[in-house]
Amino acid sequence: MANVLLRYTNLVLVTLFILSLLSFLLAYLFPGQALENLTGLRLNELSELQNSQIKYSVDNNIFVQYWHYVGELFSGNWGVSFNTGLPLYEDVGRYLPASIELSSYALLLSFFIGLPLGFIAALRHHKLTDYSLLSVSLLGYSIPVFWLALIMILVFSLQLGWFPLSGRISLLFEIPSITGFILIDILLSDLIDKQSAFIDALRHLILPTVSIAVVTTTMIFRITRRSVIETLNSEFILAAYARGLTPTQVLMRHGVRNALIPILPLLAMQFPTLLTNAMIVESIFSWPGIGNWLIQAIYQQDYPAIRAGMLAVSVLVVIFTMSIDLIIRLTDPRRRRAERAAI
Amino acid sequence: MQQSSLYQEEHHPSPLQYTWMEFKNNHIAVAGLFCFAFFLIITVFCPLLAPFDPNMQQTGDLMIPPAWDPNGGISHVFGTDALGRDLLSRIIYGCRMTFGISLLLVIVAMLLGVGLGALAGMSRGFRSSFLNHTLDSIQAIPTLLIAIIIIAILGPGLVNSMWAIALALIPQFMHQTRDFVRHELSKEYIMAAKLDGASKTHIFAHSILPNMGEMLVVQATLALSISILDISALGFLKLGAQAPSSELGAMLLEGIDVAYIAPWTIALPGGALFMMIISINLVGDGLRSALRNRLLH
Amino acid sequence: MIILDKHHKNIWFKTTLIVLASALLCSCDALLQSKTDPNGIVYCSEGSPANFNPQLDTSGTTVDASSHQIYDRLIDFDPVTGDIVPALATSWLVSDDGKTYTFQLRQEVSFHNTETFSPTRYFNADDVLFSIDRWRLIDHPYHDVSGGRYPYTDSLNLGGLITQVKRLNGYRVEITLNKRESSFLANLATDFSVILSAEYADELKSRNQKELIDSIPVGTGPYQLASFRQDRYIRYTKHPKYWREIELTDKLIFDITPSSSLRLAKLLTAECDAIALPAHSELEVIRQQENLVLAEKPGFNVGFWAFNTSKPPFDNPLVRRALGMAIDKNALIEAIYFNSAVAAKNIVPRTSWAFQADVRPLNYNPIAAKKLLREQGVPEGFSMTVWAMPVQRAYNPNAMKMAELMQAYLQDVGIQVNIISYEWSTFRERLTEGLHDSVLIGWSADNGDPDNFYRPLLSCSAIKSGTNRAMWCSKEYDLLINKALEYTEISERTYFYGKANELLAEKLPLIPIAHASRYQAYRKNLDGLVINPYGGVRFAGVKKL
Repeated sequence: MANVLLRYTNLVLVTLFILSLLSFLLAYLFPGQALENLTGLRLNELSELQNSQIKYSVDNNIFVQYWHYVGELFSGNWGVSFNTGLPLYEDVGRYLPASIELSSYALLLSFFIGLPLGFIAALRHHKLTDYSLLSVSLLGYSIPVFWLALIMILVFSLQLGWFPLSGRISLLFEIPSITGFILIDILLSDLIDKQSAFIDALRHLILPTVSIAVVTTTMIFRITRRSVIETLNSEFILAAYARGLTPTQVLMRHGVRNALIPILPLLAMQFPTLLTNAMIVESIFSWPGIGNWLIQAIYQQDYPAIRAGMLAVSVLVVIFTMSIDLIIRLTDPRRRRAERAAI
Repeated sequence: MQQSSLYQEEHHPSPLQYTWMEFKNNHIAVAGLFCFAFFLIITVFCPLLAPFDPNMQQTGDLMIPPAWDPNGGISHVFGTDALGRDLLSRIIYGCRMTFGISLLLVIVAMLLGVGLGALAGMSRGFRSSFLNHTLDSIQAIPTLLIAIIIIAILGPGLVNSMWAIALALIPQFMHQTRDFVRHELSKEYIMAAKLDGASKTHIFAHSILPNMGEMLVVQATLALSISILDISALGFLKLGAQAPSSELGAMLLEGIDVAYIAPWTIALPGGALFMMIISINLVGDGLRSALRNRLLH
Repeated sequence: MIILDKHHKNIWFKTTLIVLASALLCSCDALLQSKTDPNGIVYCSEGSPANFNPQLDTSGTTVDASSHQIYDRLIDFDPVTGDIVPALATSWLVSDDGKTYTFQLRQEVSFHNTETFSPTRYFNADDVLFSIDRWRLIDHPYHDVSGGRYPYTDSLNLGGLITQVKRLNGYRVEITLNKRESSFLANLATDFSVILSAEYADELKSRNQKELIDSIPVGTGPYQLASFRQDRYIRYTKHPKYWREIELTDKLIFDITPSSSLRLAKLLTAECDAIALPAHSELEVIRQQENLVLAEKPGFNVGFWAFNTSKPPFDNPLVRRALGMAIDKNALIEAIYFNSAVAAKNIVPRTSWAFQADVRPLNYNPIAAKKLLREQGVPEGFSMTVWAMPVQRAYNPNAMKMAELMQAYLQDVGIQVNIISYEWSTFRERLTEGLHDSVLIGWSADNGDPDNFYRPLLSCSAIKSGTNRAMWCSKEYDLLINKALEYTEISERTYFYGKANELLAEKLPLIPIAHASRYQAYRKNLDGLVINPYGGVRFAGVKKL
């Protein structure tokens, strides 16, 4: 146990080191002056530049520079964007929660739909229900998420006029950002019109959440279905039947637990996929999230922003997947590692 | 002449035949295979099939609806887009581009991935342990995210996006290969080969590789659908293929500008993309369940 | 026991289902209805302003965001008749020799009271002096703040024209010119001649934060800036002590939406109340919608293809002519403007009195074009760049697409075209540096005087100020257009502009493509929005019903 923990901590540290080193080297690999790419300041902003020259100690060798860079990273001084001139640390802090919020709701929605459906299909294995659910799920995970989002907009926003198609909330509401999660922020705010703000935010959430959730729901459905089928085929289930338990009792007492526990971390593993899909969907729904922001930065060749955004997203994903990996090992030592989910 | 069998002959299908028999019983999967073959034909013969040059702009025929619409005409079966380009031809060329490039990328990624995976699988010690851990973590990260990050570094463009996707696909193949190699290494026939004095490369090339074929095909179908999704997503995000190109994702992006007036410029290319991925997933699913059934029996 | 249990469970299950369903239905009802706040207007604009001072930037985006919202001018154009009407100046007097202008200023006009600045006095002559001297005097303490370039006034050389701006008393200002210039008053009424606060400038100077004057603006206009987030939104709030008695909403929001299809979509879903620059391909859709209004006015603008005449082979008029002959203007107009524009013959539109119908037209003739190109030593396979604006403008709703069409045309005459586009402010910066071979761009007039086309677009002094995209400098041309300004009689001025038109038709530093109509699309419940023929949108007096 301690051994495993130690190894993972080690691994996380090494990965973080590699990522930070990569992002530091990026400043040199990108076109232009490395110092500009690190700070986001243009060379003509001389006085500030001299300041940062000292900070990043560019005259020293590259190792010393890297050391200073890491120091700056930890003190929250990530430089400013070429394009907007705003501090990147705050920008990432503002946009990342919006993406996480969207992905989390989509993940919740997928759980609520995918898990029960997975059970139903498995219990009706080799029956019509199973086949039809399986076919629908095939459609679900084959659909390109950006196309789905566009079709949703065409149908639900433009034809039916039910939902708005851009942003997190109508700009007429001004929600002070406390946690970065808009629904929570609305509840925390001292707005007069809290309720309508909340409803407005929900209206903005529905289409993007559903677009992202479709793919994940089908994945969760398939993983659950496979796991339940395998569990139901195992010998201890047979033994339970032999003891005279009813099918419901067998399922409740032995099936659910044994089918769910091993796959829960696998299901959580869908989060990175969700985040990626969220990044695409964000740019369609003009959602002010990290994906939209990073893609804009790529268009505008805003190297400091690319560097910071890349670092933030990859650190988030790597730490997330590694912790899930760790949980799997700790809860289920039989497994050597997280096997790829069989769908 | 009716050939009667004098002896009671028992026919044992080879594993491959057995898989094919299982696969054939799955009608939907076979339909998917036909669909797949159809896209393959389009990819190869597309200049012969397309009625127009995909980039020819007929400024007189802007946004003509498809033939089944009351306002549509027969000369442009799928209608035209906002620049008066024939949509059918663009979709055919788009299929070639999206499908063909993805296929190419998967092959490249497979070659590299299998090589590296074999290396990791055959070796032991710290190098392998570190590699394994890194791989485990990387393969949980969606390829598209890796591709976006690589493109952020390389800059947008079709060639860069191809590099990015190929690189992002490699870990999947590596992982599968390594697992497979590990698994096989513990089997008796390898032990027999070892006792015969076979070298590591010999064992891999002559004993393990021939057994890997099916696993690789299944993995390749998976990678192909991922690669198609990724390359079109990057095209759609303006990070991959750029505007005049007939890549399906880039076409969808162009279609957004006229989405409300000419919804078919979104529906049709997206539909083609959807069909393509479904057919690949059908084949992949069919293969996988055929393999599973074979192993169960 | 088990059966009973099951039965119970069923009932529970059903009850829960019913409760859930009804809850869902109720909330669905609330969710599907969009509630609009009557106290705020959302305007979907096409881009982020470079700053909030139109003196520094001629781009329509900056003008829209600042000119008529944050600031006022001494005098205004009447949006309907185009006449010059009083604004911050209640009356003015022109001396007989046309060189001295005296303005009587309005009293009790207050500036915005913002978080960072509380005005202690009303608007007076000092503010006028500060606002004009800032761009006029090179040694003015604020001249070099925010780049020190004043494209509009520099391109017209207004700084050289004015010899003195004098304060006669607190509410009276005298401006002296060194020569008579017939378009001077019109220039003071343009969107760029805004009045800033001298008191705010002093305070910023003492705080050593001079550059804030253009990013956190203070003016006398109907709305004051509350917050701005680049590429996202601009929030304004009502100026509670606005001097004009006019209807204002509590909040005004510019929702920055670069894609025109997205703007239309947002208008349809009522996320915006009005949108900037509806795409020409979508006008028909807007007309068909019952709850949308499409206002139209013939535009005072020109979209053109300018060659960088400082670079060979584009310094050769015959090469430019051949390239012009290689493209089919009418086809471009049909594909890009959807027939909501007329083909351009001169750089001024038909509605201007300087328009001349009988200039030598440039006809589509790829064969002659190809021949001429080879004669002039441009080889087969020659490669050039066409820069296409990344934003929509009334004069060119889709430069990118136009460039793609031209790429195909130029391919026919053996010329390879690389299309280049950057983010809008970078784009203009690099154009001013002259990095392009040719560019698709245009010009919207800021006042009714034709001088507003001739001088900013092609005079030598406009190269430095960055509005002469052809980098073209001709002594002969400058002489003609300066002569035209010395007369006030239209017939005399027409003579000189006619000569200029002929010169342009011969030398072709740029190829005028189209004059597009101006459109404004808004929801029916918005009242009071009118198209301003010369420049930016104005929201004072607009209200939601």
